[in-house]
Amino acid sequence: MEVDRADGRNPNQLRPLACSCSILHRAHGSASWSQGDTKVLAAVYGPKAGTKKNENPEKASIEVIWKPRTGQIGKPEKEYEMILKRTLQSICILTINPNTTTSVIIQVVHDDGALLPCAINAACAALVDAGIPMKHLAVAICCCLAESGYCILDPTKLEEQKMKAFAYLVFPNSILSVLPEGSSLVQGEPMEHGIITSVTHGAMSVDDYFHCLERGRAASAKLSDFLRRSLQSKLPADLSKAG
Amino acid sequence: MAAKPSTTTTAKATYSPIDPTRKTRPPIFSGSDVDWLRPDSRGFHQCRPAFFRTGAVNSASGSAYAEFGNTKVIVSVFGPRESKKAMMYSNIGRLNCNVSHTTFATPIRGQGSDHKDFSSMLHKALEGAIILETFPKTTVDVFALVLESGGSIRFLVKQVDELDTLWFAVGDLPVVISCASVALADAGIMMYDLVASVSVSCLGKNLLIDPVLEEESYQDGSLMIACMPSRYEVTQLTVTGEWSTPHFNEAMQLCLDASAKLGKIMRSCLKEAASDEQE
Amino acid sequence: MGLPNASEDLSSEMEVDAFRRLFPLRYFERHLAESIRPDARPLSRARDTTISMGAVASADGSALAKIGSTTMLAAIKMEVMTPSLESPDEGCVSIDFHMPPICSPLVRPGRPAEAAPVVAKQLSDTISRHELSLVGGKAAWMVYLDIYCLDADGALFDAALLSAVAAFSNLQIPTVSLDDGKIVMLPEEQKEENSEKEPVNKEKRKLTLGGIPFSLTCILHKNYILADPTSEEESIMETLVTVVLDSSNQLVSLYKPGGAVLAYTSAVQDCIALTRQRVKELHQILEEAISGMEID
Repeated sequence: MEVDRADGRNPNQLRPLACSCSILHRAHGSASWSQGDTKVLAAVYGPKAGTKKNENPEKASIEVIWKPRTGQIGKPEKEYEMILKRTLQSICILTINPNTTTSVIIQVVHDDGALLPCAINAACAALVDAGIPMKHLAVAICCCLAESGYCILDPTKLEEQKMKAFAYLVFPNSILSVLPEGSSLVQGEPMEHGIITSVTHGAMSVDDYFHCLERGRAASAKLSDFLRRSLQSKLPADLSKAG
Repeated sequence: MAAKPSTTTTAKATYSPIDPTRKTRPPIFSGSDVDWLRPDSRGFHQCRPAFFRTGAVNSASGSAYAEFGNTKVIVSVFGPRESKKAMMYSNIGRLNCNVSHTTFATPIRGQGSDHKDFSSMLHKALEGAIILETFPKTTVDVFALVLESGGSIRFLVKQVDELDTLWFAVGDLPVVISCASVALADAGIMMYDLVASVSVSCLGKNLLIDPVLEEESYQDGSLMIACMPSRYEVTQLTVTGEWSTPHFNEAMQLCLDASAKLGKIMRSCLKEAASDEQE
Repeated sequence: MGLPNASEDLSSEMEVDAFRRLFPLRYFERHLAESIRPDARPLSRARDTTISMGAVASADGSALAKIGSTTMLAAIKMEVMTPSLESPDEGCVSIDFHMPPICSPLVRPGRPAEAAPVVAKQLSDTISRHELSLVGGKAAWMVYLDIYCLDADGALFDAALLSAVAAFSNLQIPTVSLDDGKIVMLPEEQKEENSEKEPVNKEKRKLTLGGIPFSLTCILHKNYILADPTSEEESIMETLVTVVLDSSNQLVSLYKPGGAVLAYTSAVQDCIALTRQRVKELHQILEEAISGMEID
């Protein structure tokens, strides 16, 4: 039950990735991230003094502003903002700069499927570029499920519409550690297998979800390698050695 | 199912299917017809049955639910709590009121927006009864939500087009005011007395107490009073339309008597809640 | 959290209420260690849930759902619209979730709550639209579902979904007929004998939902899983997982927006298992509410 993909990819194949950091001069950190034709620009400003009302002033607060390609933001974008905010909050170390606000502005350049994962990856790269203290990186991936129970990764917009269900999954990246192998296992699973964020649309069976999860984890390793490489390449040689 | 087009159809014009047989305005009132029965078969000087319950919302400092016939209202009181940062120092407390309606409060789906006139009228009705000196520098928030507006549904359906102000006619406000003062008492905010509010409509020669929306649409004049029954003091008096002096006096007296009775109902509701707590 | 040792020392000599306010996390963890929660529930137990049908007289379908003290009032109003050219046989469902300022001390008038659009979006993803056509290409139902949160005490999405589902099962579609190309309502008294105007939708007075979705929100904290959190628990332990299953045990949504705790396979499985149990409970509660309506 092979599913032919219009662009000739195999089901587990991601679209070509591209990431460039520090592309905006005024922002404290910025990055553009593209997966195939989907492209998102992220800019980070801050940390600025003070937090908004209803935010905990003992911690750093993160604010996410989503700019769609055209028009105004609606309910879906509001939801994206919230998911992104919560996701970024969980990977940043918020206790280092209490009572500050960091703004992350997401500008959608082109949407060709898997928009939210792309935005999360971009935001993550931009936060690193801005030097915001983080526990680890996050990599996001979209898994699509066809009517027949077939699973494909990183769908285009056209593929997304044909599918009965899809899941956006965010995992932590694998940590390069000097500690012996297996020391970072949590409940018998490596740390990078834990889900930071999961958002699904459409009905699927529970087994299918776990199937997606497995595929997502496998692909996230590739993504996380790419993210690491593209972030390291911009560091001066001596720094990357030391790190 | 995946990747649904986002809210493309929301801007489309929709309409409620309306019963076509009721195009004409039925004669609700003719000349000096005294035997005419009110839509909910009450007497002219008879109020709707009133029901109060405190503690409807747990997350509020105090709250109350009121049901007068079809009118259903919830009021939550928050505070006394920190005033907005932009506010100047004040050695007496502040009262902040807000009244909003649900989209299904009226028979035709409305906007469910805040109602500024109602909010300020509620504020004025309560302000005089609350001892603001007891919570200096802070704010007490009184928020009301009208779940359902009173009024007979069939009549209203065709009238909203003609009289769009009718949507928020005084109709619900007396209920909101009375309910708010019960909620304030539930929150333990110091007051001189409970505020009971009653309205009267004038139709020709007749006075109708506690009118529902459809009656208000035929009225020549209306009078709403908010008063503190045990002190026999009025906190707010609103009069609109045409009134003759003897009529007006009669209406005033009618309202004051009714609010005294309403005050008793409110008081007994609070007492009940308090004795339940003790047990 | 910053002073774990200090709170350890203080806990013995401080009043319970003061300890709860000053060190909420430690307060909860002490309970969790004993497998109990401050409101005396075991970790996996949801709060008492009730549904009452037909709470709003002016709506075509309505229900009031309570989970603990979280209260949701859902009402459905049906209006007629001209369907779009692309889908002439489809109606539309518009879902709004409102958090009026009465429901929580955090919501102020004029500033809509942050959670509101998110819950509305989630709901519209969960509820599907079917059989809303009246006259192919000419008229279809527009279903307005408005959900008001009257009291916000955690697990808002669960309560909102439950009230929405109950309102749909309470829905009575009005009988209408075609008059000069406009859809008009058939007056109550003429329903039986009137022959000149044939009702367009004689049969379809009820809306059938495909699989009925039910949900359960859980908190992940360390290795603990707490079902159906209150707002206090939600504010202290921030990792939430919402699982939506329908009555045929299909996974409709697994929603975890970030959070400090990572969800591993076993935790996800546990959450799904808890939801399965809860779906059975909720299904029964809903059935009882419906049958209670019929007796009345």
